[in-house]
Amino acid sequence: MAMIRTADGPDGITLHVQRLAPPDGRPPTATAVLLHGLLTDSLASYYFTVAPALAAAGIDVVMYDHRGHGRSERPCADYRLADFVRDLERLLDRLEITGPVHLVGNCFGGTVAFEYAVRHPDRVAGVSLIESNPATESWAKEIADIFRRLVTELVEHEAEALAWVNANEGGHTARLAKSAARLMRSTSIATDVPASRVLSEEQVRSVHCPVLAVYGSDSELAGQTWRLESLVPGTRSIVLPGQGHSVLAEAPGLVLDLLLSGIREPGGTPPVPVPAEGDAR
Amino acid sequence: MTTSEQTPAVSVVDARTVLAEITEMLRTVLDEYGLDDTEITMESRFTEDLELESIDLVTLAGELEARYGRQVNFAEFVADLELGEIIGLTVGRLVEYVVRCLNAEGS
Repeated sequence: MAMIRTADGPDGITLHVQRLAPPDGRPPTATAVLLHGLLTDSLASYYFTVAPALAAAGIDVVMYDHRGHGRSERPCADYRLADFVRDLERLLDRLEITGPVHLVGNCFGGTVAFEYAVRHPDRVAGVSLIESNPATESWAKEIADIFRRLVTELVEHEAEALAWVNANEGGHTARLAKSAARLMRSTSIATDVPASRVLSEEQVRSVHCPVLAVYGSDSELAGQTWRLESLVPGTRSIVLPGQGHSVLAEAPGLVLDLLLSGIREPGGTPPVPVPAEGDAR
Repeated sequence: MTTSEQTPAVSVVDARTVLAEITEMLRTVLDEYGLDDTEITMESRFTEDLELESIDLVTLAGELEARYGRQVNFAEFVADLELGEIIGLTVGRLVEYVVRCLNAEGS
């Protein structure tokens, strides 16, 4: 584990980073940076799912908690997409990772990854999006709706909301929801993220690296695969049947196979998903 | 605990020592939440009883590595478990795993 300061001076931020190297000191064949989602998410979602297996497969795996999340520093302001992208830029500089990396992003993490690929085409070997879309105008509208609902239902009626989550989704999810409510109350994240500057169609189209997009069939995002495919011709979309938005947690084996294929053979044909033991079906 | 009947006496002592050490690590992790008077036993569940979030288990993994070195690999321990199972883990299962790793190193 490491706590890494992204820049000297007041606009730097301390991020919690975990890096897993291939076992037995083998030199890595690639570097993958894993980016988690918003509010209830942290690098733990990778640490306890695909990260160890990616490292075992010979990949240098870098995970970090976004600003405000997990064990990273929580400033009270500056939660626009550009702030998250700048964190990634500075972190890779601090880690002296200069070669092209594979970016893996779950939900908002994928939105950060895609924007990084737009800004730094020479530093990205491939992007894998899990239940995620680039920051287009429709993305901004959807995320604004989500935050509006969260603020009304979770932040303003926290006790009732947490009781409901506890009864219906269990204690751990309730605890994560409580953390999410705290994050929204103590920072400007709920207004900042929806106010992020979005990408123009031209910028989205400018991405030429291979893009792998994985969705769960039961998720609302699965019906929108055409959007990304129509804009970025190099996109390969995979819809995993019977899975929802939390496909990374529910079916890590399936996601792992797809990520490995995307990293080892960028732009190649992804394997037909076969549920692994332990994956929810 | 059901392991005490079959394991050699030395391991029983080790389990007690390891529980004490892991309890210390958990106090460090729990400290942030002001839950430092929570009783920690072999039966305590990380999330249900100790209210740890999954990111706290990552911190715990770091504490384990700092104390026991690479011999105890938390990532390996949880690699075969689903996220749901990890969330439901008891302190006792981790203690047993650590004892097993340390004994394997000594033998």
